Amino acid sequence: MNAQASRKQPKPLPYILILPTVAFVALFTAWPVLLSIYQSFFRQRMNIARFREPTFIGLGNYVDLFTDPYFIKVISNTLYYIIGTVPISIMLGFLFALLVNRKVRGIGFFRLAFFHPMVLPMVSAATIWLFFFTPDYGLFNTALRFLGYSGAENWTGNPNLALLSVIIVAIWKNSGYYMIFYLAGLQNLPTDVYEAAALDGANGWQALWKITLPLLRRTTVFITIVAFIDAFRTVDHIFVLTSGGPSRSSTVLLFELWQQRFEYQDIGVSAAITVIFVIVLLAFTVTNFITSERKEA
Amino acid sequence: MRTQRFLVVKVILLISLLAACSPAVPTEAPTVEPVAPTEAPTVEPVAPTEAPAVEPEEPVMEPVTFQVFYPVAVDAPIAAILNGYIEDFQAEYPYITVEPVFSGGYGDVQTAIQTTIDGGGEPPALAVMLATALYDLINADYIAPLDGYVADMEGGDAYVADFLPAFLANSYYDGQFWSVPFQRSAVVMYYNADMFAEAGLEPPTSWQSWAEAAQALTVQEGDTTNWGLHFSSDWPYWLFQPLAIGAGQNILEDDCTVVFDNPAVIEAVQFYIDLSAEYGAMPAGVQASWPTDPPDLASGATAMIVHSSGSLSGLLEQADFELGVMPYPGKEEGTYASVPGGGNFYILKGAPQEQQDAAWKFVEFITRPEYVADYSINTGYIASRASAYDTEAMQAYVAEVPQALATRDALQYAGAELATQNLGQVRGIFHDYLQRAINGEMGAAEAMAAAQAEADAALADFCP
Repeated sequence: MNAQASRKQPKPLPYILILPTVAFVALFTAWPVLLSIYQSFFRQRMNIARFREPTFIGLGNYVDLFTDPYFIKVISNTLYYIIGTVPISIMLGFLFALLVNRKVRGIGFFRLAFFHPMVLPMVSAATIWLFFFTPDYGLFNTALRFLGYSGAENWTGNPNLALLSVIIVAIWKNSGYYMIFYLAGLQNLPTDVYEAAALDGANGWQALWKITLPLLRRTTVFITIVAFIDAFRTVDHIFVLTSGGPSRSSTVLLFELWQQRFEYQDIGVSAAITVIFVIVLLAFTVTNFITSERKEA
Repeated sequence: MRTQRFLVVKVILLISLLAACSPAVPTEAPTVEPVAPTEAPTVEPVAPTEAPAVEPEEPVMEPVTFQVFYPVAVDAPIAAILNGYIEDFQAEYPYITVEPVFSGGYGDVQTAIQTTIDGGGEPPALAVMLATALYDLINADYIAPLDGYVADMEGGDAYVADFLPAFLANSYYDGQFWSVPFQRSAVVMYYNADMFAEAGLEPPTSWQSWAEAAQALTVQEGDTTNWGLHFSSDWPYWLFQPLAIGAGQNILEDDCTVVFDNPAVIEAVQFYIDLSAEYGAMPAGVQASWPTDPPDLASGATAMIVHSSGSLSGLLEQADFELGVMPYPGKEEGTYASVPGGGNFYILKGAPQEQQDAAWKFVEFITRPEYVADYSINTGYIASRASAYDTEAMQAYVAEVPQALATRDALQYAGAELATQNLGQVRGIFHDYLQRAINGEMGAAEAMAAAQAEADAALADFCP
């Protein structure tokens, strides 16, 4: 009886509790996205007097973008950047977590050592790396030479290495962050399954592949999403290290968006890039959930 | 099911993080320095200090407060210095309160103002922005012309004429006067005079002697090379321009005409490449060394660098050798070249009229020769007015630090800094192709021809 009554009467409290969140999401996420979609159908350039007022041009901005070889290059740079940073920093994060998930004296120091890049602001970190990358006496090159490397040393000025150098900094910065998630996941794992596996004669490798990794799948899904979105939205180090150059070889999507909006003052095109951005991220995250939740069922 | 919902919320939150980077979001509130409360506007405190002739025209003044957005682009205590000037100003104009906002570099100031105005907000009445931002600011209808103020000023024409001509080049458009030069610099060549003396070399007077000196001063030390010259090219147009000017052709003619594919400009590109390829006096390829060049010169890792005159104070402090400062040598014997840079005062038309008027009073005040001189001495920027060099403080300073005069003197060889319509895009195109040439991806002539074609297309919408 009681239960039936309460089902008919919607309780207001839960809605009141989520109201602030809904308001924030509506104001700072939904509204800007809708505005960007609307603006992306107009030509509007703040630095041309006669294009200051928006004119409807349909899909013109999108057509311009996808027929511009330079924008295609930005897309491919972005893909390289994601492929270069996401898997490696997740794997390193997992490896670090395994290494520091032990009861050893002074383990706190190693955890701190792996995690500290995350605490540094990206701009300071990138400035430090700028000096590391210096040809001749830079620390990075000195270390590489010690390991027998004799190739090009002009990391940020070489069109073939500039993107790689911003990838290296991103991996260095993020691995420790992902380690924290894995570490939390590892410490929540039940111990009995390992004991059972040991009784069944499983070795360390088998325990890792057959037990640890599958049990951490949810953590991995979460970290993959975080890493993917990070890869899209971190550009601070690009400003410091390469300014998107040389010859635009390290320009990625968000950097291009900033450039279109604030350097070229092209509101229509920057809105179109924002929309492309949102679509890609939504597609990725939704796919990720669908595939991972299906396995769960 | 519950966890799935929870994850979806997480995703939404994560995407909202991303959306925070999208341009539609209103800009964050600028950080405002604490400001002394506005003093009550009484006639009495003004009367004794002001000239009595002006007094009757300005009866009881309404109190007015305006903001000035100020970029901090060099390693100097800009905020402290400027706050001192503001105190002096408010003592002389008790009814005006100035709120300085120090919000990053030039780019940050302009971005903050753009987003404020585009978001429907009220901009600060006054800002220092790049001299080269002029056309973009006019086209977007952000700034107000200053001719009215100059006309109302006693000796207004003489006031304007006192600014160094190289710095005024980016203040005029459409026959109107738009900005007042203040925080200005120039490109110069710094050299280690002790190394030159040891090697029996004279300061260079042409491309030929410059390259040969750089070659002679390049020494191998174990694994590392101490190069004769460091010439940063990661944001290259500014440091490159004096090479083109030295070859006899600047890279622009006016706001609608760029000159990239001229033989003299191509020759300048080739000279940059030859400094490493022919003379072995400089590392090859694009050099992303702007921040490391001054410390490298100070520590003896290189004998020469090209850099902003704004680095002078820092270099003088760090270098334990005789520091030479000169314009770039030109291609022909005895010719030289430089290019100005830095920021001007702009008055934003979106601010209320009384704030704009008060802002102009502040501009007039802070560009008095004694303040211009003081600012130059304390920051290393070049004093923007000729009369500043006649002040006692400046005379005493240049007697002690003659290099400060050398940066000003470099300006007599200066051409106009790259300032065009659609500047961001045109500059991006030039950077793109110049770097391709420097990195050997394209020949100098081929790269400059391509840059010219793309830049002409990028200017077409702006220059019918």
